[in-house]
Amino acid sequence: MNNNWQLLIKYLPIFIPIIILELALMITALIHVLRHPHYRFGNKVLWIIIVVVFQIIGPIVYFAFGRGDDSRG
Amino acid sequence: MDDILTVQHVQKSFGSKHVLQDVDFSIPTGSIFGFVGENGAGKTTTMRMILGLEKPDKGTITVGGEPVTFGATKTNRITGYLPDVPAFYDYMTPAEYLDLCARITGIDQRRQRIAKMLDLVGLKPDKHRIRGFSRGMKQRLGIAQALLNEPRLLICDEPTSALDPAGRNEFLELLASLRGQVTVLFSTHILSDVERISDRVGILHDGRLQACDTLVNLHKQFGRSQIVLTLADGATAQRCRQALAPLAVQAQGTIVTVTYHGDYAATVSQILRALVAANIAPVSLQQENPTLEQIFLEVIGDAHAAHDA
Amino acid sequence: MRTLPTMLRKELLETWRTYRFLILAVVFLIFALMSPLIAKLTPDIMKMSFGKSLGIQLPKPTSVDSWTQFYKNIGQMGIFVVAIMFSGTMSQELGKGTLVNLVTKGLPRWVVVCSKYISLLLQWVVILTASFLVTWGYTAYYFPDHKTPHIFLGFLPLLVFGMFFLAVILFGSTLARNSYSGLLFTILVMGVLYLVNLFKAAQNYNPVTLIGDNMAITQGTKTLVKIAPGMAVAVAAAVLLVIGAVAVLNRQKL
Repeated sequence: MNNNWQLLIKYLPIFIPIIILELALMITALIHVLRHPHYRFGNKVLWIIIVVVFQIIGPIVYFAFGRGDDSRG
Repeated sequence: MDDILTVQHVQKSFGSKHVLQDVDFSIPTGSIFGFVGENGAGKTTTMRMILGLEKPDKGTITVGGEPVTFGATKTNRITGYLPDVPAFYDYMTPAEYLDLCARITGIDQRRQRIAKMLDLVGLKPDKHRIRGFSRGMKQRLGIAQALLNEPRLLICDEPTSALDPAGRNEFLELLASLRGQVTVLFSTHILSDVERISDRVGILHDGRLQACDTLVNLHKQFGRSQIVLTLADGATAQRCRQALAPLAVQAQGTIVTVTYHGDYAATVSQILRALVAANIAPVSLQQENPTLEQIFLEVIGDAHAAHDA
Repeated sequence: MRTLPTMLRKELLETWRTYRFLILAVVFLIFALMSPLIAKLTPDIMKMSFGKSLGIQLPKPTSVDSWTQFYKNIGQMGIFVVAIMFSGTMSQELGKGTLVNLVTKGLPRWVVVCSKYISLLLQWVVILTASFLVTWGYTAYYFPDHKTPHIFLGFLPLLVFGMFFLAVILFGSTLARNSYSGLLFTILVMGVLYLVNLFKAAQNYNPVTLIGDNMAITQGTKTLVKIAPGMAVAVAAAVLLVIGAVAVLNRQKL
């Protein structure tokens, strides 16, 4: 366990930006999922799970394939 | 009066389907032209050809005296187009979208022009993006972008069919208010819209323009005016029918319908004399003016008759 | 010509407001950060999973491993994400009919193609350069060795490959009516190029050499001149594809 901590501390300058970027991507996608409840397929709950559980891939898949046309009419 | 648009012997087919056989008409400057036909009659295709979005197989089209060419036609400088389902960029605000259009057309003093257009169609110049717009709002933005470059010819494809009655009313009033400033060509299958605002009508059927004239002339030519008599009972109605025999008479229940061409007064006096002679007293006598719908059916009927013969 | 800056502005606004630029930037930066990290951690991870039972001594990771990771991440996953993100750039406009209004206002169709291509190129150069700088900085910090002398020369082919790859995406997107068939076209082209790469004689002329030989050039075992034909082919193909996209769009029904 001690070993892991050492690793983490040693590479903190690299872990921190990665975590920030992943969180930013996830939150952007999450907000979009919540605010635009029209999807090309799937439903809100499914997309929340995909976006939150699958880091990086989830948001990409959502923005590329899940995001629907937003217009009402 | 000059013709702002002339369409000469235009033909178009998609694959083996001959959509337009021989379409030939012109629109005088300043008129509001109602383009009528069933769905799939070729109205949209004709309009897209006028805009250079579709290439005619044969025939020529001129707008403002200049020939229309396929692709980027110069005549589009003086035309405005409202597609049946206008598609915008959802991520822009209406003002941003109009700004994009204004830059492409090369309009001076964009800001004032855009503000004026938004005001005309009743959209607010705020931060709301087009993404959340209803059909009606999109249609209004559509007319704003179509009028942005102060076109001399405004082409609207089925502008009212997607709107609710209130929106339709509003839109027709807007179109009617343009009378005198812009020549309008609009297609529709709602005949009452045409009757309300247009002064000229073209009826497209079977790939040909079966009729194209002013509303007044169409009434004269195709309008079968009718006089409707109501009688006390069925037996009297039958007697009435026999009494009026030389005329075109139909009896149904207690109703007798006389179809006539020409002068109303002359026909009425003829009917009254015959009734007095036969000693029949009608409960009521009413003049029925032909509607555009009757004219439309008449025109289409003629076309079929000519086709069959 | 006058409308080109207008349309470029529209394209940049679009990629910003539809989050495409943001997603690509974040994904590429994550790839860039991961590269030195994975290189550094691989021996540790091996040790942890195999424990002391691993007989052989693992070589200490170097800057070569870090850059290898970078070119693997970007050259495989990265360009795939680019293809996914941009394969709808033209096909969506054709499918929705958003160009009708603009073209009937006098917008030349070639401007549509060129503004899209320029916008794609700008994004590629900005995002790729940023990720390159990130990997460079971290690699220099964690692996202060001299095993990768030609970092810039190795990077240049990847940059040029973008010219070709984005032109393929744009051409495929112009042919298609939805983003899926546009994506399919790009995948197909890449598949064919990798098949062609099986023939040794064609390798130096093949644009995929621009994403395959980066490490050899970085380490100095292959010279840039060797793959110059591949670069020339890539640039020429890019120009032809953009001209082709204009020709296709001129015939497309809007």
